[in-house]
Amino acid sequence: MTDGAVPKASAVRVTAPRISGDHTLAGIAAALVILLCLLPMLRLLMEALLPGADGSLPLESLNSRSVFRAGTNTLVSSFASTVISTLLGGGLALLIGLTDIRGKSLLTLLCLLPLLIPSQITALAWIKMLDVGSPARVAIDFLFGTEANHPLYGGGGVSFVMGLEHAPLMFLAIAAACRALPCDLIEAARAAGAGHRRVLFTIILPLLKPALLAGGALAFVSAIGNFGVPALLGIPGRFSVLTTLIYQRLNGFGPSVLGETAALGLILAVIAGIGLLWQRWVIRRAPALRTGGPTGPILPLGRGRLLIEFTTGLLLLLLTVVPLAALVGAALVPALGVPLTWETATLENFTYVLTQYQPTQRAFLNSTLLSTGAAVVTALLGLVLAYYGELRRWRWMRALDAMADAPYAVPGIVLAIAEILVFLKPLPMVGVSLYGTAWILLVAYVARFLTLALRPLAAAVKQMDPTLEEAARLAGATGPRRLVNIVAPAVRASLMSGALLVFLTAFNELTVSALLWSRGHETLGVMVFSLQSEGAAGAASAVASITVIVTLAVAAIATLFARRLPKGTLPWMP
Amino acid sequence: MKLRSLFAALAALAFSAGAAEAASGTLTVYTSTPDQAMNDLIAAFNKVEPGVKVDFFRSGTTEVVNKLQAEFTAGAPQPDVLFIADATVMEQMKADGRLMSYADAPVQGLPGGFYDADKTYFGTKIIPTGIIYNTKSGKPRPVSWNDLISPDAKDQVIMPSPLYSGAAVIHVGTITAQPDLGWNYYEKLADNGAVATKGNGGVLEAVASGQKAYGMIVDFMAFNGKAKGSPVDFVYPTEGVSMVTEPVAILKTAKNAEAAKAFVNWLLSDAGQQYMTVQGYIPGKAGIAGPAGRPAATELKVMPSSAKDVAGESNEIKKHFSDLFGG
Repeated sequence: MTDGAVPKASAVRVTAPRISGDHTLAGIAAALVILLCLLPMLRLLMEALLPGADGSLPLESLNSRSVFRAGTNTLVSSFASTVISTLLGGGLALLIGLTDIRGKSLLTLLCLLPLLIPSQITALAWIKMLDVGSPARVAIDFLFGTEANHPLYGGGGVSFVMGLEHAPLMFLAIAAACRALPCDLIEAARAAGAGHRRVLFTIILPLLKPALLAGGALAFVSAIGNFGVPALLGIPGRFSVLTTLIYQRLNGFGPSVLGETAALGLILAVIAGIGLLWQRWVIRRAPALRTGGPTGPILPLGRGRLLIEFTTGLLLLLLTVVPLAALVGAALVPALGVPLTWETATLENFTYVLTQYQPTQRAFLNSTLLSTGAAVVTALLGLVLAYYGELRRWRWMRALDAMADAPYAVPGIVLAIAEILVFLKPLPMVGVSLYGTAWILLVAYVARFLTLALRPLAAAVKQMDPTLEEAARLAGATGPRRLVNIVAPAVRASLMSGALLVFLTAFNELTVSALLWSRGHETLGVMVFSLQSEGAAGAASAVASITVIVTLAVAAIATLFARRLPKGTLPWMP
Repeated sequence: MKLRSLFAALAALAFSAGAAEAASGTLTVYTSTPDQAMNDLIAAFNKVEPGVKVDFFRSGTTEVVNKLQAEFTAGAPQPDVLFIADATVMEQMKADGRLMSYADAPVQGLPGGFYDADKTYFGTKIIPTGIIYNTKSGKPRPVSWNDLISPDAKDQVIMPSPLYSGAAVIHVGTITAQPDLGWNYYEKLADNGAVATKGNGGVLEAVASGQKAYGMIVDFMAFNGKAKGSPVDFVYPTEGVSMVTEPVAILKTAKNAEAAKAFVNWLLSDAGQQYMTVQGYIPGKAGIAGPAGRPAATELKVMPSSAKDVAGESNEIKKHFSDLFGG
């Protein structure tokens, strides 16, 4: 019977006459989660807190000018970017959620597009849009005087682009809250004679405050851990943040500074942890809005509607589509500074990265294989965890959920340090090291993205009708057999969309890969970053353009799978 | 391809008496030589050794070495050959017992001190670091390192970072070892608004495009940029230059030692040294003429410093530099 007892180690004796299939399967899954998710985190804590080989405490090494500067920059730029995300994402969510603006689904899609485009590509696209010679740059130079440096290199650019990149988080939080606004309150205010402005400021915004705070906390935590944007815009602008400082320290000093970077990583993790706890606390304290939501537009736009629709559409195009067009444009010119015309346009950069330059060719293959591998492993592992945790309700399996969350909750660069700490030295007994192979990337991807596959699966399994599985049990089917024949088919849509979500995220991954890649095991995110910083802008743009196209195509497929799923299974389908 | 390798194998067999060690297989090189230059160099090498397929990983010296250090810790170093900017790192690697001693290396004609006495690493060329300036900036032509801390150079100086470039480690180590300059000089540079970029390529780009008027840079890059038409020129400052020799070394753990030796042989041969000239480097070997208009190795005024000293302090140098300039 499926009592919730924790099996003792002795229960898995080799000599035991019968080992239950349930315990074997669950045991393997638990071992994987502990090995992949819990162990690296503990190892990082140890490295950061215990004295190093020379007896000095890693945390003491943090008392330096550069660490202080990077820490301040991290907080300031994350805060500034959160303000931008709030104004932009929150404003758009209010506009779409509360007014009678037309074309809502198209506008929503544009608002959520940044979710699909990885930071490093967004940053690159903005660099290209404002490069010397571009119309936008000419306008900026005209308004503010010619400046030799790229206008986005530095703290301002980092905050701005991170603000755009994380605006969808705020958008999703506010949009969801808007859908649950109690219309009786608003109608009562209306009946009492309150105008639009009064309704907005005294009823709606106070009701949205928890969502605003929660969305803000998420945007802030994402900004703290962001690496792609400060790597492309901050490093050339001499604006260092904690993530880029860790990267530069490890690249500049090598494994000897692992302890110091672990301490830096711990600080990052603590800041992110505070943000996430605060977000959960805000959500828990928020009054539950369980009404059907408003039936019609709360704030009709009136005569200005056409103008507002036009402005909003234009703004969204400018912020999301035009930079991507500039990116593709930059991939189509033969050299930096050549204007794009029908005569100059060439596919040279694309043929170069696809057929001539070996590292990018390898990167396309590696990223495809690694993200497919990560998708399959996380989906299977997630299925086992969800089955025993949510349907069979084994308590110790549910405890693993929190462990699976940890590698995703901490900034990616912190997980990367943790993986290096565990897997750099040859593994005990086998004597082989994972570092310098593709396996360390796969292990890190599985650890980081497990929760992405697990969450929709856990929700789907929980909602499953338990009678089918129960009937199969009575008919004598073993646990694993029921999992394969009954549970898996019932939740296949969640399984597929979760796997595709993992694929998409891993395919574009930079932060973890930046520290774990090695020669022969390049990934697409790393290639975009390194090509750009080596000055091969055309090739970087070509790789990024292809990545965007693949990403959008896979996202479209995932959307097809998710049509019948509860809303919110895929982040871009609220 | 198969036919060709078959032919190569047959040829190797046929001439085995003459060329007893015709190398073949894949040779993995970790290098700081720029991508394009490395591709050209491999093409030239393959004219002599067509059987060797050279696969390389390229980044700044510091990054290359740290990647390799991590691989050492992991117990699986990938490269056969290390071909990087500075001898300090080679000293370190040698001290750690990572380098193979290649006793039969063809060092005839190389000046003493250009290669390690134990034959573990060999200089391949002379790369001095001096000052590049934009000829159209309207700023005065620099002659001394001190011109970079003058009011004319305010916010106009860019330099490579030792956290990335090996030549920059030596350069910072050399300048700070001079009594008249020292860390004081770098403090003044920071106060004068000088900035650091990743590598020498970034310096060339910034000065050639007019973003900055002055830069510290390895000479060949400045001259190659000038030859391509960029509005730049290069100065060997009056106090002297710092210098690296882009040494090559074979790792003890090399999987293809034969091909590695062939690669070293070619780099040190007359043909290899002449090829350095084609790429704009000053060759190290006596009797090989350098690129037109450039001083010979013996005419350079080099500021005194020792690879061993810099090696001991390289982490201090990098840390101090990153505190002053970030990155």
